[in-house]
Amino acid sequence: MERYTRTKVVVGPGMPGEFRRSLSGLAVGPRDAVHALGDDEVRVFEAGGRLARTWKAPEKATCLGVASDGRAAVGSPGRVDLYNDAGVRISGFAAGTRDKPAEVTAVRLVRDEVLVADAAARIIRRYGLRGNELGVIGAANKTGGFMLPNRSLDFDVDAFAVVYATDTGRHQVTSWTLDGTMVAAFGRFGMARPEDFVGCCNPVNVAVAPDGSIVTAEKVAARVKVFGKDRSLLAVIGPEHFDPMCLYIHVAVDSTGRIVTADPERRTIAVFGRS
Amino acid sequence: MSETPTRRQFIDRTIRVIGLTALGGTAALLARRTSAHAVFQVDPLKCTACDLCRTSCVLSLSAVKAVNDFSKCGYCRLCPAYMDVTSAPDEVGTPSGKVCPQDALKRRVVGREDPDDPNNNYYEYAVDEARCNGCGKCVKACKPPMGNGSLRLEIRYDRCVECNECGILIACPSTAIVRVLTPGLSPVSVQGEHSNA
Amino acid sequence: MRRHTVVTRTELRRGLAALRRALGPAWRLLPFLLVVLAFASNALLAQYQRQPPDFGGTYTFPVPTHPEPRSGVALGIDVGVLAAGLGLGAYLIHKRRSRNAVVLLSIAVIAYFGFYRRGCTCAIGSIQNVTLALVDPRYLISFGVIAFFFLPLIAALLFGRVFCGAVCPHGAVQDLVLLREKKVPVKLDRILKWLPYAYLALAVFFAGWGLPRAAADGTALVARRFLLCEWDPFIGLFRVSGSFHMLAIGAGFIVLGMFYGRPYCRWLCPYGALLSLCSRVAWKNVTITPDKELSCGLCAESCPYDAIHDFQADRATCVACARCYDSCPRHLKVHGGGPVAVTLYRQKPPNAGVS
Repeated sequence: MERYTRTKVVVGPGMPGEFRRSLSGLAVGPRDAVHALGDDEVRVFEAGGRLARTWKAPEKATCLGVASDGRAAVGSPGRVDLYNDAGVRISGFAAGTRDKPAEVTAVRLVRDEVLVADAAARIIRRYGLRGNELGVIGAANKTGGFMLPNRSLDFDVDAFAVVYATDTGRHQVTSWTLDGTMVAAFGRFGMARPEDFVGCCNPVNVAVAPDGSIVTAEKVAARVKVFGKDRSLLAVIGPEHFDPMCLYIHVAVDSTGRIVTADPERRTIAVFGRS
Repeated sequence: MSETPTRRQFIDRTIRVIGLTALGGTAALLARRTSAHAVFQVDPLKCTACDLCRTSCVLSLSAVKAVNDFSKCGYCRLCPAYMDVTSAPDEVGTPSGKVCPQDALKRRVVGREDPDDPNNNYYEYAVDEARCNGCGKCVKACKPPMGNGSLRLEIRYDRCVECNECGILIACPSTAIVRVLTPGLSPVSVQGEHSNA
Repeated sequence: MRRHTVVTRTELRRGLAALRRALGPAWRLLPFLLVVLAFASNALLAQYQRQPPDFGGTYTFPVPTHPEPRSGVALGIDVGVLAAGLGLGAYLIHKRRSRNAVVLLSIAVIAYFGFYRRGCTCAIGSIQNVTLALVDPRYLISFGVIAFFFLPLIAALLFGRVFCGAVCPHGAVQDLVLLREKKVPVKLDRILKWLPYAYLALAVFFAGWGLPRAAADGTALVARRFLLCEWDPFIGLFRVSGSFHMLAIGAGFIVLGMFYGRPYCRWLCPYGALLSLCSRVAWKNVTITPDKELSCGLCAESCPYDAIHDFQADRATCVACARCYDSCPRHLKVHGGGPVAVTLYRQKPPNAGVS
């Protein structure tokens, strides 16, 4: 088992750029800049820790995704807004259908598509940059979608455009290709072994590292786990770093494999590196 | 009986008049500050599900019942309020122990049912009020972060006898029982805080 | 009190009336809306409420049921029954002078105020609410409770303790279980007679001020307590449920009441203490003209509460049970009730030389 130690606190209470009311989104952008969504704003912290840029996000924004070229997408209930790398809003579109607007809980920019997690319909929707529907991911299973008792769907996309999504009701991380074909699934429920996911609905968040390992975040046992490419458990970043009341620890991985976590209860963003 | 009142009768009459005036006056004074009839209810933000609701109600089967807020319930297969998630799993991997000592939390499969894999089903959880004794074990287990916090303890008015002084209110360590005003006959005069009697 | 208001009373009443019109029948659900709203702003789910997932199939969310509390109209009916009982009691006891009517009334009040209403709201307990309302201006007393406190006292100033005889279910229970009355020694009775006042003082103290008790975490719990409600002897009987101590006290009083005539009313009831003060100066009480009485002593013997001695009656003790009427030979002769009844006046008969 590997060990991770906390190398840096990017932002926390009392630090410049601190989040006072909410911290609801996290992404790592180009040059390992940490983008964080909270207090109705997106704040960009450079790799050195300095607050470089801030721009206004829509009210009630729930999630954030940043592409490798710095473009950002911000999800709110029923809509997605796109921003360029300077933080200027380019466009936006409605997500979901008119009688059932999407419950947007995660958003990613993949090439020229926008992937939107819809927790109400329990699928991931694919849109073009103008909001044109391209398809869905996750519907091709026996339940017509993911099982989401905690009403939140999170996913991440690796370099090969494979989507890794949390299926919290099944205690699995499932992987899909963009056309909606399921590739693999790993994980199981268990209260005893560290590699199992505890409670009724876990893992709540997921991120993919550049080397293919998967980082998951859980609630109840507020911890972050790292699984290798063969899906064996590599490391556990223990509960001592997170607030026990955390319902969603946001996770992201930077280009060097360091894990960036955001704790919405303590409103702290911390970086963990392999020691 | 003589026509002129005796001294005794005169004293009696005077005291009677003073008494009637005093009573009437105090009644009128209090009537300016009446509220509608108030009932007791549990404040879910303060309730810690400590089990005292079960024992402190004057009724043998407490008027406090667990209630599931379906709009918040996760409908989880592995509901932490239904089953003891740390208990030994059965052959399909579901924990076998139940949380409710009265077996009052019932569940049924809803939505699109998968006949092959119980992992794939959503369950609706409802409380059987005839069995529930208000102990709050399920409420405690459902609290975030483990659950969604959809289960809460509530005083049910078809059972509550509306005592003058709620026995649970006295016992509650978190002052979670509050008086809630219901609309009624009397005019509401002063909107101050209502103190717990 | 005015300083606490944010809006005036008229504005509030108009606003409430408008709200009531707007909500329509949903007005009754207001207390539940308050609870639901409080719950909805649960700080632990600081993110806004998420839509429930679509379960597939044909599932629709069930409509939650919230049984309604007893409406204010029902409390008004209770007050009406109380007032009717007092009026009827005054008439039947003092005018018709019928013991049978009192027995029927007793059964009726045990059924209504006792088993149907399960003892709540009661005049005895209302002492506490009134005390609290006078001590703490934030306490909003209910209109019905005010009526329960003041109506029997006003009736007592007019007609004596007709509340005890005709309306109080506690008294009715004791009155009906009385088998053979034993007399209590006079000296003991004199001491016991002070207990109601002591209990009244204790009840008032605890209702208005109380003794703060510390909770396990050091915060003070509710200091004020309604002692009368906690130690009421017959509530356990009426609710058909209760803690051991309450049921034991109730059983004890019933057994005692079989032999000693309304022990709770005479020696403990704090409201009875208030009623006896009013009854002393009552306008029309049980009347027997002294110059018509026969000195037979039958009324004194029939009174189980020792309210008649030396052909003088103790106004304060008489609970208007009408037994004396029933036993008076003059009353028996003059069927239907003539101007013959027992006077409960601390007054020597005129033929003793007092004008």
